Amino acid sequence: MMNSLRLIIKELLYRRGSTLVILLTVIIASTVSVAIYTLSKASENETRKIMREQGLNLYIFPKGTNLIDFFSVNDTPVFPEDYVEVLAGSRTFDAVRHLTGILQVKYNDWKDPNGSSHQILLVGYKDEAMQRFLPKQEIMGTDVVEGTVHVGSLLSRNIPDNTPFTITGRDGSQYSFEVAKRFEEGRGMLDQGVAFNLHDLQNILGMEGKINKIEALGCICHDGRIKNARKQVQEIFSDLEVAEISNIADARENQRLMMNKYGSFIIPFIILTCLLITALLFYQNVTVRNREIGLLKAMGRGNATILFLFLAKAFILGLTGGVAGFFTGTWIAGYFGKEIFLFTYSAIKPVWSLFIVTLIIFPVLWMLASWIPALRATQIDAAKTLSGE
Amino acid sequence: MLELKNITKTYHKSSSLFTALDNISLKVDRGDYLLVSGPSGAGKSTLLYVAGGMIRPDAGEVKYEGEDISGMNNKAKNEYRRKHVGFVFQQFHLMPFLSVLENIKMACYERSQLEAVDSYMEKCFLTPLRNKKPSELSVGEKQRTAFVRAIITRPGLLLADEPTGNLDPANSEILMSLIDDFHREGGTVLLVSHNPVASKYAGKQIVLSEGKIVSGE
Repeated sequence: MMNSLRLIIKELLYRRGSTLVILLTVIIASTVSVAIYTLSKASENETRKIMREQGLNLYIFPKGTNLIDFFSVNDTPVFPEDYVEVLAGSRTFDAVRHLTGILQVKYNDWKDPNGSSHQILLVGYKDEAMQRFLPKQEIMGTDVVEGTVHVGSLLSRNIPDNTPFTITGRDGSQYSFEVAKRFEEGRGMLDQGVAFNLHDLQNILGMEGKINKIEALGCICHDGRIKNARKQVQEIFSDLEVAEISNIADARENQRLMMNKYGSFIIPFIILTCLLITALLFYQNVTVRNREIGLLKAMGRGNATILFLFLAKAFILGLTGGVAGFFTGTWIAGYFGKEIFLFTYSAIKPVWSLFIVTLIIFPVLWMLASWIPALRATQIDAAKTLSGE
Repeated sequence: MLELKNITKTYHKSSSLFTALDNISLKVDRGDYLLVSGPSGAGKSTLLYVAGGMIRPDAGEVKYEGEDISGMNNKAKNEYRRKHVGFVFQQFHLMPFLSVLENIKMACYERSQLEAVDSYMEKCFLTPLRNKKPSELSVGEKQRTAFVRAIITRPGLLLADEPTGNLDPANSEILMSLIDDFHREGGTVLLVSHNPVASKYAGKQIVLSEGKIVSGE
């Protein structure tokens, strides 16, 4: 008694040439797919990292506000800071992350310790809101502890070390804050600004409970969801609107779309080419094995056994090649990732969820490729092939 | 045991019809040794494969132990071949990637048959060759391997299609005597052959010409 599986293994080892070529097609298809997918994930992480470095990319503010007013006038429209909690607590609000309530005003006459007068920007940051129905994320916004400030690089030059930041409030009182951090230059308007804890700034300005914008990050997600942010916000607060800081968003989208575009072309192209080669090799294999198949029929083996011999062979090759390709693809992604992704290359690791997909998809695809040749094998006229006619 | 009743089989060759078997009737009893001879194209091989359930006749009945083979579905026909029929071919048809032992074992479907492999191999002078691949065997060794593969399941009916066609006289003689041993032990043999030696062993003989039995029966 010899089981069919043993027969398959023996045949695979005997016809090493075609076995290796078919195996190679699976490995190539699997390697390319895994490498591109892993690099695409790495690209997404890299983009996310870059985005985090650059800051939040969405502004949510009262309708009718001109964005330029944030930097040029004192009194832009305000709204309750509780709006942030309402958005964070909404089950339907998922197109935006890292919601940070902000009160930002221009302060025209700040006196530095030398008595010189300057026009500066005051920004109060509310602690980043945790979105109740979304997975927790690392805090991205600026967290300023009450009683302290973070000062911009230009402003910092006017405040000697170990000197507190002092400002006159709307009520005429002097407010003093420890300088907890001095920003490096390159933070835009904040170079000439001061970051407060929101409640400290509200206190200085007599604007308790008020903010004039929410900064947030449109998540890296499927196309259209950033646009969804507008819709989702306005479904909850019709008096708010959303603006996208396009250069940041575009850079992020372009990078991601480029990877997706190449991936969505290359992966199917390579897989289809490899499947076609496999189908042709299986077809040739059936022709070569005409008499073996005829013999099996003469010995009373049914069509199910013959189908099994071909499909199981394709399964074995698909599985083996898929696994080999997964590790090769991951290695390639890691190797080239070092050159491409400066921030996140160390985070390029095997995508194990993809491994599970590989274990299923490649055996199934290669079985499909061998299906027609296998059917042809069942149609072989045993009497004709065995009699040598 | 095996009864062919009014069997007709035609093939399309080019644009014309070719009648391989023309209303043939034949009865083979248990323990018979029937030699089928005749010129090329007479329908000898077709007759053999019809008897083995591998060719469905256009008309007529094939009965084995009273059961109609030609009317069986594929599953039942497979079962019939697996349990009751052993085939020996002119071209041996060994699996090239299996050893002699594995080629023989491939036909077995019961443990008791496996246990008999060694004694059959010994009897057919194959024991020293058990681990050799077909490419390492002589034609006589190949045919003896194919013969053991055919009879290892102890089939009721051995169908042999020109088994000595590729053998030299010495190897032909060995094979014919092995087939004869099978017959003496109670097996039924239907042998298609041009080999004059075969008539020495066969108890019955028919001659086919143009799909008809022209002598015998």
